[in-house]
Amino acid sequence: MTVADTRFFAQGNVYLPHIAVIEKIVEETPGVRTFHFNLKDEKLREEFTFASGQFAQYSVLGVGEAPFCISSSPTRPDHLEFAVQKVGKVTNALHRLGVGSEIGFRGPYGNSFPLDYLKGKNLVFVGGGIGLAPLRSLIWNVLDNRDIYNKVDIVYGARTPTDLCFKYDLEAWDKDKTVNMVTTVDRGDDSWKGKVGVVPKILEEVAPSARESAAIVCGPPVMIRFTFPVLEKLGFAPEQMLTTLEKRMKCGIGKCGRCNIGNIYVCRDGPVFSYAQIKDFVSSEY
Amino acid sequence: MANKKVSKKDIASLLEQWRQQFAVFAPSRESGVAAFAEWDGKDVSFLDWYRNTVVPPKASFLPPMEEMFRFEKGTEGYNIKPRPEEENKRLLFGVRPCDARAIAIVDMTFKDAYQDPYYLSKRNNTLLVGLSCTNPCESCFCTSMGTGPAESADVDLMLVDIGDEFLIEEVTDKGKELTRDLKEATEEDEAKAEQSKKAAYDRVTRKLNTEGIKDRLLASFDDQGFWEKTAAKCISCGICTLLCPTCYCFDISDEMVKQEGTRFRSWDSCGFPNYTKMPMENPRQEKWRRVRQKVCHKYEFYPMTFDVVACTGCGRCVRLCPVNWDITQVIESVPDKTGVNK
Repeated sequence: MTVADTRFFAQGNVYLPHIAVIEKIVEETPGVRTFHFNLKDEKLREEFTFASGQFAQYSVLGVGEAPFCISSSPTRPDHLEFAVQKVGKVTNALHRLGVGSEIGFRGPYGNSFPLDYLKGKNLVFVGGGIGLAPLRSLIWNVLDNRDIYNKVDIVYGARTPTDLCFKYDLEAWDKDKTVNMVTTVDRGDDSWKGKVGVVPKILEEVAPSARESAAIVCGPPVMIRFTFPVLEKLGFAPEQMLTTLEKRMKCGIGKCGRCNIGNIYVCRDGPVFSYAQIKDFVSSEY
Repeated sequence: MANKKVSKKDIASLLEQWRQQFAVFAPSRESGVAAFAEWDGKDVSFLDWYRNTVVPPKASFLPPMEEMFRFEKGTEGYNIKPRPEEENKRLLFGVRPCDARAIAIVDMTFKDAYQDPYYLSKRNNTLLVGLSCTNPCESCFCTSMGTGPAESADVDLMLVDIGDEFLIEEVTDKGKELTRDLKEATEEDEAKAEQSKKAAYDRVTRKLNTEGIKDRLLASFDDQGFWEKTAAKCISCGICTLLCPTCYCFDISDEMVKQEGTRFRSWDSCGFPNYTKMPMENPRQEKWRRVRQKVCHKYEFYPMTFDVVACTGCGRCVRLCPVNWDITQVIESVPDKTGVNK
């Protein structure tokens, strides 16, 4: 996998953000919000393209910049979305913004999910918490072109029912007869009727076949670490396991140095990797 | 092609001549530490005291702190105000071969995939005039790192000390244009230059065996015991990275006063725990992981990406470390596990 097409923002100074306007804010959980937005400049808005899996740098000007994946699907180009958990300086500032607020946006950066490779395969999506954001872009991409993919399994979990993100999507996928949707929580509550158990354990129960399949995994590092061995046990080869990684980033374009795992820069060479690409370093750096 | 020469007492007038065309930068102690600074038109005393600068010349292209753009918040929303283009032509005089090599190594990162406009606008407008070493430091190990005290590969002109004069090797066409008015060197000068170079090479006594280092480091990546021992006395001050001529890591920050703001970038270091810190976790919280990153980035990862070791043996990290951490000892002590199955 190589650096994605950079035509869009490659002209001129790559560090200059474009102004985007927030159009809608969705409260996903008490700490997570999804922002719907569009670029302010109409010409840029029309020219803008991206692929599922790519990320961008978002700024609250005066506070700072942070990377988030584009969580909407390119098959639904009416607006763009990104999801933010309130955890640090920039994310707190983002959570203080309202509809109509302006943010800085530069990107898209990084590679994307290999659609050609996924075509015709059974797809197993494994997500945890806000890690569903990048998967969701690909899931809608797949469902909007349903005929060219085979079976779709989605195993998604969060700590508690309240922590489940994108509940409207979970509902839609649950109703979709072409999708096997399994939702789980680490700890249920009185009204919870779904599965209880951590994602890797539930994935083992669902036991999707590795034949002609690809697994796409995203969630907190601890979930990713325990999911790969389960997939291996199910017969998935390292090349059949894809993930998208998150690291602290500043530049987003392979210069500032901090997002490396071994010789790989997550921003420049990822964020989408096969397990085969990262397994040598995973034990100690992820 | 015959080389040129210039008398040492004519250096000031040569720099003055170049100053008509370029902003000339030369070693200076004006700021308190030796660094490249705009030449004042008079002082060439650095020819006597200068061994190498404390601040490497990378600072001319990647300053310790640099404005990226400004922005203002108005009634119609934010307005981004890009910085004016750098058009100033510059000349760095007196760059040591190790540092010239380091600039070539850092160029690779800033030219890779996405062009970095701030670095390259300055770099592309700058000529490097090298100055050979006659008095290398005890900490220098350049001859083990693919360069040497009079290596001319990465400069436009190379000055070699031959007593009362400098012999000038014209390395690039751009360099050649600078020496048009100078006298040609004689055979005797050439012989003196060869002698001077050889003497300097012989004076670099610290040697480092880097054979197979990339593979040795790869095989020892998970040897936590080795890395903990290696990192034991490090105090994470970051000086070996901040003042390393091949280190290029930076941070990006915003500052806003009332309605006007600036985004700027500043040197950062993989030695600092916050460097990789995310709100929920930090992949290099432990010191040994950060020390491993520093060593492996230079001797393992950079070679994997660009096929070149990102160390030129300038010796700054050895000279400047407050606890005498020594990269050459570390590299020598990496266990050879390449034959062992992981």
